[in-house]
Amino acid sequence: MASIAAAQVQEVRSITRIERIGAHSHIRGLGLDDSLEPRAVSQGMVGQKMARKAAGVILQMIREGKIAGRAVLLAGQPGTGKTAIAMGLAQALGPDTPFTSMAGSEIFSLEMSKTEALTQAIRKSIGIRIKEESEIIEGEVVEVVVERAAGGGGARVGRLTLKTTDMETNYDMGAKMIDSLLKEKVQAGDVITIDKATGKINKLGRSFARARDYDATGQQARFVQCPEGELQKRKEVVHTVTLHEIDVINSRTHGFLALFSGDTGEIKSEIREQINGKVAEWREEGKAEMIPGVLFIDEAHMLDIECFSYLNRALESETAPVVIMATNRGITRIRGTNYKSPHGIPLDLLDRMIIVPTSPYSHQELREILNIRCEEEDCQMSADALTVLTRVATETSLRYSIQLITTASLVAKRRKATEVSMEDVKKVYSLFLDEHRSEQFLKEYQDEFMFNDGSGDAPQLMEVSQ
Amino acid sequence: MKRSNCLIEVCEDFDSFSKRIKTSFIEGNNSKMFRNTIWYRSLLDAEKSCLKEDKLKKIHYKFQDDKEMVEEYNVDTQVLLRRAWKVKGKLGGEGKWDVEIGDPIPDATPHIEGIGADFMESKDQPILTRRNTRINLEWRIRNLPYPIETYSVSANNDERCIVIRTTNKKYFKRLQVPELDRLNLPIEQANIQCSHSFNTLIIAYKKPQQLLDMDKEWYLELNKVKPIKDIPNDCKTQ
Repeated sequence: MASIAAAQVQEVRSITRIERIGAHSHIRGLGLDDSLEPRAVSQGMVGQKMARKAAGVILQMIREGKIAGRAVLLAGQPGTGKTAIAMGLAQALGPDTPFTSMAGSEIFSLEMSKTEALTQAIRKSIGIRIKEESEIIEGEVVEVVVERAAGGGGARVGRLTLKTTDMETNYDMGAKMIDSLLKEKVQAGDVITIDKATGKINKLGRSFARARDYDATGQQARFVQCPEGELQKRKEVVHTVTLHEIDVINSRTHGFLALFSGDTGEIKSEIREQINGKVAEWREEGKAEMIPGVLFIDEAHMLDIECFSYLNRALESETAPVVIMATNRGITRIRGTNYKSPHGIPLDLLDRMIIVPTSPYSHQELREILNIRCEEEDCQMSADALTVLTRVATETSLRYSIQLITTASLVAKRRKATEVSMEDVKKVYSLFLDEHRSEQFLKEYQDEFMFNDGSGDAPQLMEVSQ
Repeated sequence: MKRSNCLIEVCEDFDSFSKRIKTSFIEGNNSKMFRNTIWYRSLLDAEKSCLKEDKLKKIHYKFQDDKEMVEEYNVDTQVLLRRAWKVKGKLGGEGKWDVEIGDPIPDATPHIEGIGADFMESKDQPILTRRNTRINLEWRIRNLPYPIETYSVSANNDERCIVIRTTNKKYFKRLQVPELDRLNLPIEQANIQCSHSFNTLIIAYKKPQQLLDMDKEWYLELNKVKPIKDIPNDCKTQ
């Protein structure tokens, strides 16, 4: 009995655990209805209707999976929701479609060449759905026990007892497994399967033997027979792996050295060719299915001319994913050259892209977004404070006014108020400078700063030398 | 004629072949049936290499269908101590050794990633190992505290396995008998013996004559595989 209570306490704790909030954590999808028409405010998305509609068309294209190697460019000023649209697209595609998100500057690494990094990113975005035999544990839950190891803050340990009509076995669990058990709300009397390789838990239903515990069952409880025979079985299971994962499995140099080098380094092109051949073979035999996914490159103007020409070539390949890029640059220099081009992307690559523009938000939309962010950051905001914040957003930037939400709520907490008032917002507005006021300040006092020789050349030099 | 053709193909040297034909004629065909099995032929066909370490003789087989197997024999008793198969995943990669006979190979690289360390059977749960003797096939199941009356061990020829049941419904296991499968021999209830001591259930199956003959002959056959001489010397301190 004590153990059940312990499990319940644990459960409450894991639900109330606050997740860290990211800049786009409020995005839950593209906010489209069934006919791909954008709703005004939905799934965390506000405004930007044309761009969202375009993203909906692209979503349809990806889902059908027929077209390889299309490129999409999201272009717009800073803070107009380019990344939000890409995140929304990822959410709308669901967990089964590979979605790789990277920043343009990520490919510059000392350990790996630029093209290798790009190739890996491309291959991470292509999934292979394949049937594989794997070890499955199938049984009825007799008991779940979770306890903390002795000593404060010790790791949680758990024990799971499973049975079939013929046998019974105890299993030891680590923290990850306990979490996923609690997440699935597994309790005594459930019939579950556990994939031994991945740890994935699947609830089949409740055992018939427990059919009388009416109070413990929900409305749609499904009753199943307790399994027979051995707990551990071999079954064919459908897995989704990315091409990159297959590359890594086959490229690991054996020996224990591979254990310590977490990163994979460069993968030989022969191995890739071999795997491409193998995958083509599987597809022909009907053993595997290819799922083209999405590669999202944020800040695409940070790629240089070599990457662009590599992408030109890579997009032609049959196994290319849909590449979505985002940039906030106008007509600017292409990195690695002295030529200027729209969005800092060469014209031949731009020609292969469909370009989706995003436009600045309207006053009303800004208010709506700030409202959503207030909810997301768990902050009560009075109506007039929100009006002031919206004013700030129109006059400075959306990002700056989002920064003010949590800071203002902290100020409000200091004076023990439950709601953020206009005064709190005004106070943090005076405490923290926005980019424009900071610039003003610098211009005024420039002479008193260090290393100031009065000429504005230095930043430009930095841009040129790469 | 056709059969002898096959045998010529699989024999490395003609002398041994003709000798064997003679002996088989003398002793009569019945006990040498195993020579016709796919298993025995694939053993002959396999690429073999041998390594001798003190009292241990290790043989590595590479079969024509790309499977790999390793056997370890005790030189004194000529008993097979360990047989393991290389299991490769469908997606490729190094693969792991799956032990058919003998103690499991301790994992030199413990699970760091993946779910391996996060979910496994408790230490006090029954563990099954295989250990063959000269005359018996043996299964040992440790950590089974229940008395001998609890267990029922029966041969099931439909599923080609030995089934262990317990009256208290705590343990159930189907034991495959690959040795008998390979020779297409039936599993006979009369050959099964059970004993229980020190929390261990030992199930012994008396090797049929065919299997005994094959073991003997195969060990002689293995003497033809020359052990590798120039293995890198393991560091010997003074």
